Amino acid sequence: MLDNILEGFMLMANFGTLAAAAVGVIAGIITGAIPGLTATMAVAVLVPFTFFVSPIIGIPFLLGVFKGAIYGGSIPAITINTPGTAAAAATTIDGHALAQKGQARRALEMALYACVFGDLFATIILIFAAQMLAQVALEFSSPDFTMLLLFSLTMIAAVSGKSMVKGLIAAAAGALIGVIGLDPMSGTSRFTFGVPDMMGGISLIPLLIGMFALPEAIIQMERKQKTISPIDGNAGPKLSAKEFSSHWRTLCRSSSIGAFIGALPGMGAEIACWIAYGVSSKRSRRPHEYGKGSMEGVAAAESAANATCPACLVPMLAFAIPGDTVTAILLGAFMAHNINPGPLLFQQHGELIYALFAVLIVSNLMLLVFGRVAIRWLRNIGFVPNGLLLPSVIALCFAGSFAVNSSYFDMVVTLIGGVVGVLMRKMNVPVAPLIISLLLAPSLEQNIRQSLAFSDGSLGIFVTRPIAAGLLLLTVLSIAGFAWSQIRQSKSTSDLESTVEEQGGKAV
Amino acid sequence: MRKFLIGMLATVAMTSAAAAQGFPDKPVRLVTPYAPGGSHSLHAGVITSLAEAHLGQPLISVIRPGGGGAIAASEIAAGQADGYVLLFGDPTINSLRPQIEALSYKVDDFVPIARINYSPAVFVAGADAPFSDLKGMVEYAKANPNKLVYSSDNVNGFTYVAFELLKKASGTEMKGIQFGGGGPAIAQVIGGHTMAYAGDPALVVDHITSGKVKPICVTDLERHPTVPDVPTCKEAGQDIVWQFWRGILVKNGTPQDVIDKLRDAFKKISDDEGFRKLIASIRSSVNYLDGPEFAELLEREQADLKAMAENLKQ
Repeated sequence: MLDNILEGFMLMANFGTLAAAAVGVIAGIITGAIPGLTATMAVAVLVPFTFFVSPIIGIPFLLGVFKGAIYGGSIPAITINTPGTAAAAATTIDGHALAQKGQARRALEMALYACVFGDLFATIILIFAAQMLAQVALEFSSPDFTMLLLFSLTMIAAVSGKSMVKGLIAAAAGALIGVIGLDPMSGTSRFTFGVPDMMGGISLIPLLIGMFALPEAIIQMERKQKTISPIDGNAGPKLSAKEFSSHWRTLCRSSSIGAFIGALPGMGAEIACWIAYGVSSKRSRRPHEYGKGSMEGVAAAESAANATCPACLVPMLAFAIPGDTVTAILLGAFMAHNINPGPLLFQQHGELIYALFAVLIVSNLMLLVFGRVAIRWLRNIGFVPNGLLLPSVIALCFAGSFAVNSSYFDMVVTLIGGVVGVLMRKMNVPVAPLIISLLLAPSLEQNIRQSLAFSDGSLGIFVTRPIAAGLLLLTVLSIAGFAWSQIRQSKSTSDLESTVEEQGGKAV
Repeated sequence: MRKFLIGMLATVAMTSAAAAQGFPDKPVRLVTPYAPGGSHSLHAGVITSLAEAHLGQPLISVIRPGGGGAIAASEIAAGQADGYVLLFGDPTINSLRPQIEALSYKVDDFVPIARINYSPAVFVAGADAPFSDLKGMVEYAKANPNKLVYSSDNVNGFTYVAFELLKKASGTEMKGIQFGGGGPAIAQVIGGHTMAYAGDPALVVDHITSGKVKPICVTDLERHPTVPDVPTCKEAGQDIVWQFWRGILVKNGTPQDVIDKLRDAFKKISDDEGFRKLIASIRSSVNYLDGPEFAELLEREQADLKAMAENLKQ
């Protein structure tokens, strides 16, 4: 096996391939860092260009774009509290809190290293267990997905902040927004009010941009600060190797979650980042730091997000089943280059598979290098006065939300999202639960209805299948765990708050 | 909001409306009505990358997904009839849904320019399914009404229609579960959760070769070159023809000389050697039909699909 991998590296060790991967990673980071331009879009737009070059250049380029974009999303998430892609939404919570404390550099470095770690971790899993993982993924059917999504929904509790009730209200609103559009099974219009633009539902990305970016800009304006607001990228202490490695438990756990979620068809980084974030906050020794600037939170979200990148190739390579839009595009690109994924690929083109593994590892190292360069450049963003920066951010946000579907309606969604976002912030209602439930509710509904179609309406299907039953048990335990810690916390916080008040409330 | 878009398109259009004989004197847009990544956007990428030499102006690919393609079609139908905005259509958008759903456009809002190609559906059964040919499948469905569970895509989608045609032709009842797209749908067949599926050859042929699914029949007049051993559905005993075409259409009311120029340009594109090579590289082929032939096909198809839909209602 080691020989094969070495051989794969040899195949990749030429200038064209390395340059293509490097250009791809850079293009990806930039695209990902611009809110509204997603990994999917970057890959889709760039695919036709690769038809004209050999696969040994085209494929590394596309994989570089994909990885770079998933990482790039974390940069604006930390610096301006706006996730560049949906995969970085969980990073905003702690990443931006750290930045506000003047520790932007630590947060950015943690995000980068966590991404690289998660990616590498998942690549190694891919090398040794691709076939096995793919087999497990195929065992998943609608009832199992239903239960997995239900479990993911419990992560709302982890991001609700102080008030669970407000979190649940936000989550309910998200689920209701998710209902808008064509019914997934019968095709009937729901709550579209005859507006054709609403038939496709409210798009997540424009709303995400509106709810995160606009309130950030508006609230900054209210403060009328003349000083630098998006936090200086080089501000604050560096992340030491010792500190990074002290999070190994979180990193390994989150990367495993990311690798597993990524391997399931239809699940990707957007969901994995929340599950990893929620699970880590629960398993953490310092759960009270979550939401207020936890390095662990950034590590969990980012390592899981990038671990999905190699993992989502699993069902595609092993069975030619594209798990999500990005892999569907990649599958098309592979075929265009006469590489036909599927069970025969492992037997007939072993060397190609290992070359692909080599590409994944090499582009990951490039991500590390260019990510560090990107972090260094962020210093320049810090020197831009608010009066210039905020309008540019707003303009970029609207351009980005238009770019998602070439839709003017989406810009209205962004605007409304922005207004609602400001109100939610003023009332201390967390935005994250709304985003999570908007992300999950439509798939949850679809899977519940598919399951009930399978079982002719019997709910038994959710407990008779081992995977579904196991996940249901996990969900129950998770809710019980949150309830228990909530009760315990409310006791200890009342103690803590009284001490804080005595000290003059500096910590708040 | 739609008015705003129409307004935008209108201002762009008016600047050149006077000079219709100079068509095209600015870039033409080809609108893909689906999300990036599907076969439509791949085809559009190939077409637009080679069109300029034959059209005299760049052809710009615009991706405008939403409402299963209905949004792009509605916008074009409500826009200017000047030939600068083309729809990359298909049977569900142009023939089926406007006849049976309350959409803001109708089948005759569009004039056909050229059919680029089409894909038949290949019916397949899971490796463990209790049948391995069409006769067995129909017998099983007759003996076990609604017990044959198959993976479908969306209501009125490609797979959905293929199975409705089969049910109507064979007089059987089967249970379809909608998975929203070809990828998840075939994954459920391979995983043994459903028994059958019908989809694009590009998606199923590898699984037939590797033995993960059993081929049943092809919904075409001839066998498909990638699976020459698989019979057509007619050969296998059920007369079903279902061709999922990809074609270029323009808003009805576009001046005839503009239509002629567009038809001419797409004829040249489809004859282009480079174009054929690139289409082959995305595992597709060119099955060009000119405007009048394409119009005939549409008329027949619209009548067939209307009959199918009316049959469904009963």
